[in-house]
Amino acid sequence: MHDAAETVSARLAPAITDLDEAGLIRAAQKGDADAFERLVRQYDRSVLRIAMNILRAPEEARDVYQEAFLKVYRNLHAFRFDCSFHTWLYRIVTNVCLDHLRKRKVRREESMVVDTSDGPVDRGSQVEEEGPHSNPERQMWNRELAGKIDGALAGLTPRERTVFELRHYEGLRLRAIGEMIGTTEEAAKNCLFRATQKMRSSLESFV
Amino acid sequence: MSCTEIISEIPLYCYGEVSSEVEELIESHVEECAGCRAELARHRKFLEALDTREDAGDTSLLLAGCRARLRSAIETKKPSFWQWQIPFRVPVGAIALVALGFFGARYTPEKFGGIEASFASPMFSTVKSVEPDAHSGQIRIAVDDVRRHVVSGTPQDPHIEQLLLSAVREESNPTVRFASIRILNSNADSEQVRQALVDALTRDPNVDVRLKALEGLKPYGGDPLVRRTLANVLLKDDDPKVRIQAIDLLTTHHDDSIVGVLQDAVRKEDNAYVRTHSVNLLEQMKASVGTY
Repeated sequence: MHDAAETVSARLAPAITDLDEAGLIRAAQKGDADAFERLVRQYDRSVLRIAMNILRAPEEARDVYQEAFLKVYRNLHAFRFDCSFHTWLYRIVTNVCLDHLRKRKVRREESMVVDTSDGPVDRGSQVEEEGPHSNPERQMWNRELAGKIDGALAGLTPRERTVFELRHYEGLRLRAIGEMIGTTEEAAKNCLFRATQKMRSSLESFV
Repeated sequence: MSCTEIISEIPLYCYGEVSSEVEELIESHVEECAGCRAELARHRKFLEALDTREDAGDTSLLLAGCRARLRSAIETKKPSFWQWQIPFRVPVGAIALVALGFFGARYTPEKFGGIEASFASPMFSTVKSVEPDAHSGQIRIAVDDVRRHVVSGTPQDPHIEQLLLSAVREESNPTVRFASIRILNSNADSEQVRQALVDALTRDPNVDVRLKALEGLKPYGGDPLVRRTLANVLLKDDDPKVRIQAIDLLTTHHDDSIVGVLQDAVRKEDNAYVRTHSVNLLEQMKASVGTY
């Protein structure tokens, strides 16, 4: 378990020695604001990036950041060093992300990808400026494909999506992902396999 | 391992998530088996396609806003706990607000399908100026707000058509112009649309947009306006791809009015294909190739 947690740490955050981290956590548990701030700053960049990559929505990523660190703040006193701090933190973050993904499913939010007679078009992606000599045909193809990928991701279950995003786009090992979402490596593997099959099936006409 | 077993392991193999033993079995199998090799190639192509999706991007500006918001929330809950000793609190606050403004403009909820995606009119805010007041701690920010709304309809819907025509003429983003022309091409029987395509073919700075407009004009190769435009393009467009398409379309209809243009093309053209086609066309029209 510790090895996998180290993999997560190495991939996501700059190194901090266990001794430093344990000292910071203990100080923060005693109410040291500076120590808590250092803990937050040690991990918050990667926390926000994970949230952005999983949710692809800055407003939601911002909410995940807030909710996750407030949970850490409220529950730090109960942290007993049974696992590493980053494992504990990323478990909180992925759970908050999963909650947001589940709420999205319930909310049936309006898709950004609209079907037109010329295929799916991402309404939002067209606001960015490009140079006059860019290749719009290629850009459009990439955008349509990106829209299709987002559509396919939206069709995954929240857990499948989280595992897929963390493995494919964040490059985390399945063992670490299993720990983050509170499951075994084997279960994460099965989840990734199902997600990949669904994604391939959705994108069949594109690739 | 059978082919079915190999194929089921390919996704995890590509992620390097199989044991070294399985990895060796897969590698030796695909060397021998063309079907599994093809499946592996297809899966790799699929993974490459997934990588065309852009990274979530630089989050540093968003991070500044997140930190400020978290600090504020914790200060509200327990003021004595979260007292950051930052000597430049006002500038930090200003940067955070600018960051929020920037992201408000760049990443609206609608764009990313965020939680407020159902809002009818998301706001685009552009921060024009920021004036921090070191004494009072107040900040004055001038903000330009633009609201985006989504209009839906068929390409034949007159309102949609007008918006597309407007995008072709005024939009600075070539991808938007290209997408608009691609849709308008199906409405080229309308004189107004044809005129817009002619204008785009003549004036658009982006070659792909010009080629797309020319594609929409193909069924109208006999139309005098289109032929004049094609003749003009043949002589003046600086991209040989456009000139090649223009000569191809001109050759679908014979008329004497373009003899002079073709003779000019023969004289000036440096592209062999265009020159040869111009010569052929002149010969078919029994016109002299050179001018005297």
